[in-house]
Amino acid sequence: MTAVDHGTPQESAHAPDPWAPRPRGFLMRPGFARAAWCTGLFFLIGMYIVVSIRWLAGWDPVYDWNIITPVGALTTAPIGFLLGIGAFDYWLYWISGRPTRPEDHSGHGARTWKDYFKVNTDHKVIGVQYLATTFVFFVLGGLMAMLFRAELARPGMQFVDTQTFNGLVSVHAALMIFVFIIPAFAGLANFAVPLMLGAPDMAFPRLNALSYWLLPIAGLMFLASFLAPGGAFATGWTSYAPLASEQPIGQIFFNMGVQWAGASSILTALNFLVTIITMRAPGMTFWRMPLLVWANFTTSLLVVIATPFIAGSQFFVMFDRILHTSFFTADNGGYVLGYQHIFWFYSHPAVYIMILPGFGIISEIVSVMSRKPIFGYRLMAISLLGILVLGFSVWAHHMFVAGMADWLRVPMMISTLLIAVPTGVKVFSWLATMWEGRIRLNTPMLFALGFISMFVIGGLSGIYLASVPIDIHASDTYFIVAHIHYVLFGGSVLTIFAGIYYWFPKMTGRMYNERLGKLHFWLTFTSFNLTFFPMHWVGLVGMPRRVADYADRFANLNLFVTIASFALGASVVVFFYNVIVSWARGPIAESNPWRAMTLEWQVSSPPPVFNFDEIPQVVGGPYEYGVPGARHAILSGGAVPQEART
Amino acid sequence: MRRGAIVRMAGIGIVVGILVTLVAVLIPWLPTSASEEMDRIEFVFWFATVICIGIFALVASVIIYSVLTFRSPPEDESDGPSIHGHTGLEVAWTVVPAVLVVAIGVLSAVVLSQNGNAGPNPLPVKVFALQFAWRFEYPEQNGLKSGELVLPVGRSVRFEMQSADVIHSFWIPEMGQKQDLVPGITTRVVVTPKREGTFRLVCTELCGLGHATMRAPVRVLSQAKFDAWVKQQQAGAGAGDKGAATFAAAGCGGCHTFTPAGTNGKIGPSLDNVAADAKKAGEDVRAYVKESIVDPNKVIAQGYSAGVMPRSYGQSLSAEEIDALVQYLAGSTQ
Repeated sequence: MTAVDHGTPQESAHAPDPWAPRPRGFLMRPGFARAAWCTGLFFLIGMYIVVSIRWLAGWDPVYDWNIITPVGALTTAPIGFLLGIGAFDYWLYWISGRPTRPEDHSGHGARTWKDYFKVNTDHKVIGVQYLATTFVFFVLGGLMAMLFRAELARPGMQFVDTQTFNGLVSVHAALMIFVFIIPAFAGLANFAVPLMLGAPDMAFPRLNALSYWLLPIAGLMFLASFLAPGGAFATGWTSYAPLASEQPIGQIFFNMGVQWAGASSILTALNFLVTIITMRAPGMTFWRMPLLVWANFTTSLLVVIATPFIAGSQFFVMFDRILHTSFFTADNGGYVLGYQHIFWFYSHPAVYIMILPGFGIISEIVSVMSRKPIFGYRLMAISLLGILVLGFSVWAHHMFVAGMADWLRVPMMISTLLIAVPTGVKVFSWLATMWEGRIRLNTPMLFALGFISMFVIGGLSGIYLASVPIDIHASDTYFIVAHIHYVLFGGSVLTIFAGIYYWFPKMTGRMYNERLGKLHFWLTFTSFNLTFFPMHWVGLVGMPRRVADYADRFANLNLFVTIASFALGASVVVFFYNVIVSWARGPIAESNPWRAMTLEWQVSSPPPVFNFDEIPQVVGGPYEYGVPGARHAILSGGAVPQEART
Repeated sequence: MRRGAIVRMAGIGIVVGILVTLVAVLIPWLPTSASEEMDRIEFVFWFATVICIGIFALVASVIIYSVLTFRSPPEDESDGPSIHGHTGLEVAWTVVPAVLVVAIGVLSAVVLSQNGNAGPNPLPVKVFALQFAWRFEYPEQNGLKSGELVLPVGRSVRFEMQSADVIHSFWIPEMGQKQDLVPGITTRVVVTPKREGTFRLVCTELCGLGHATMRAPVRVLSQAKFDAWVKQQQAGAGAGDKGAATFAAAGCGGCHTFTPAGTNGKIGPSLDNVAADAKKAGEDVRAYVKESIVDPNKVIAQGYSAGVMPRSYGQSLSAEEIDALVQYLAGSTQ
């Protein structure tokens, strides 16, 4: 491998550089100043495209904000933002035939905190950008949840009106799903996967940067809907037609926000697929890949296949509204249930998009912290693929009471129940991995064990919901709210916390505070259960979900849940305190504090700009703990054994 | 594996199992059943619960036992035994769960088929939902209309359901059965009430601003009392105030406060002030009320939004009913 110049452009500019860009003024440099005026300019361009067409056609009114908003504010203005921030600079130079400076690595690596606010092509910087951004949305989504829990503390209406309540519920879910859980996993994988593969970066670093910058657009769009006349989108994150086609204009912010988040997901997934297929280090066969890589490979397949369906469903809802088509309205031959079929064809696999990367994280942590090889490695990888395949055959279990064709119910129930089998394989394999191990109960391991136990509860309540007769009773009640939070909070969010603690020393070069980490775990674990476990009960005895007001007999349980939810919200403060203070002043971390075998721990903390000074040679499996003399990879100095070269 | 380990782990498993069983038994998880369908749902529920208690106790006991037994101090740098897998175990934990879930699946399919069977002589009832009210119609009782759902005990009821605007969902918690009402199609559900009592029908599909309060009273009566109720309603419909009857049957009170009808809905403007609102709009009261029923978005009262009130009343109510309703609303406030 040729040596790579890690110097800054200034240092390497020993001779007058013919490719060096002319120095540009403050407003013309890529960055937030240029992004601001480009956003405004592109909004005006979008707006006047609409206005001039309406004026030429003689339609009244010329300024129709129902059309200008989706075109100008939600489509062209974000393109202007991306242009201004600099996400397209390289490609535009290339398209227009201008010099593209292929050897310039100034966009790689972060030297100061300011570099995290620029378009950066380094997968490690992008990983941190993803995590920081998604946690902003996590906090905002959590505060919204506390607001509507305050409203639900007592029956009747106290703090907010019905429109605001429905808006808070809907935006909470949209933020948590589309701009927290899904991209937070993308952030962790962005950081870890290229390192684990022995690759210098992702396959398409500039595409990677673009994927990240699409994300804040989506999140801000969801939030901005609160400013729209008539209030935020208020139809739940499922946004069922035809209600969604008749709502105030805030609904369009959901329809379009999902497009930007979806584009981000799809581009990242393609990038992961190409990276995993083509950029594995020599000797890294598929059967030697860490399970986190396997998990992200499977997830990326799900994203690429499924995400276009939600994009379509949201476009169609918007067309029903602004173009007066009738995809999902009962007039003119529209098919109302079509929305749900298309929506859930994405949104059920989306549940696995939100949990499979977590399975990968837990596999890494359980094996390392138990000092034992993962139990049944191949079956662990195959069970991921099993979930992938089965995951596309169960979408209609969200529609058992929807009025769809009756015959679909039993086959969809059976395939749903069968998903318990590969999922069970994973849980039992983690338990067997721990068996007779040398277990270290540090913060990542505590979160991993918390995840396993909570996910088992979420999985078991899923069995109730798979059974059609029980689902008919429990559907659309608080039992569903309890179930999804056991799966998405007790499942996904706990694995995100586990992953952040696990890779924190590698990402920041500093160690987090173990005592605060454990305190965070126990506060979260306890208040999580107090918040969500009673919801099973209140749902089964008769409280529907998504209600701003409820019958008096549910008052005590709701008050209890509200108080617990405030404790859950407060527990996150411990996490932020720990992360921020440790990042600034924590003790310097060793390169391999967990004595792990996977490749990311074989380089310094934080890793060098291009990860490996020398391409690693992979010679064995990633979890060979306790196997005498076993190695996963040989990095430098050591002679490469003969068998690894073949 | 040492024998002592199995004994201790089984001990933990039994303790966890007992605790979880207490949680399952001591908390009244389900409402007291009021229909034969709910009885069968309960049976599947408890069947699944027994299996789930077993699985949870197994997983919890392994985690607790492992953490207690295999925990190692930080200074211990040794590794565990290099066990990569065990084919027998892996086959077992693939096959046994598969058998268990298939058992749940078969039982569920049988119960689903029974719960969908209305038997030889069901009572047909039509259900109409609209934002944000329920209306019921009894074809066998000469098309009797009602805003309250009254059912005889012990006879299967076959509901045929339609929605006028968006998706709603029909659920009486004590009776278990739930079914969405979807614009453009007719959906069906069977309920067989098994005890007399007063219940509540709730909408469980988010349908807009008034979703949380879209409820309707449900009464289950003996066959004799049911017949008496039918007779009384049929007599009342002819003799009483047609406007008041329409107001009740169309579910206006779900959203509107109107003192003469004793309703206190808060979704739409209070109809007690309809004369003042008409004056503000500069219209004759009767014309204003009629317009607001047929074309509700034309004039929007201050503090309320367009698009909330259904636009379908012009079609769903007869001209005669609308006139009676106008007379009732405009007349009562003058």
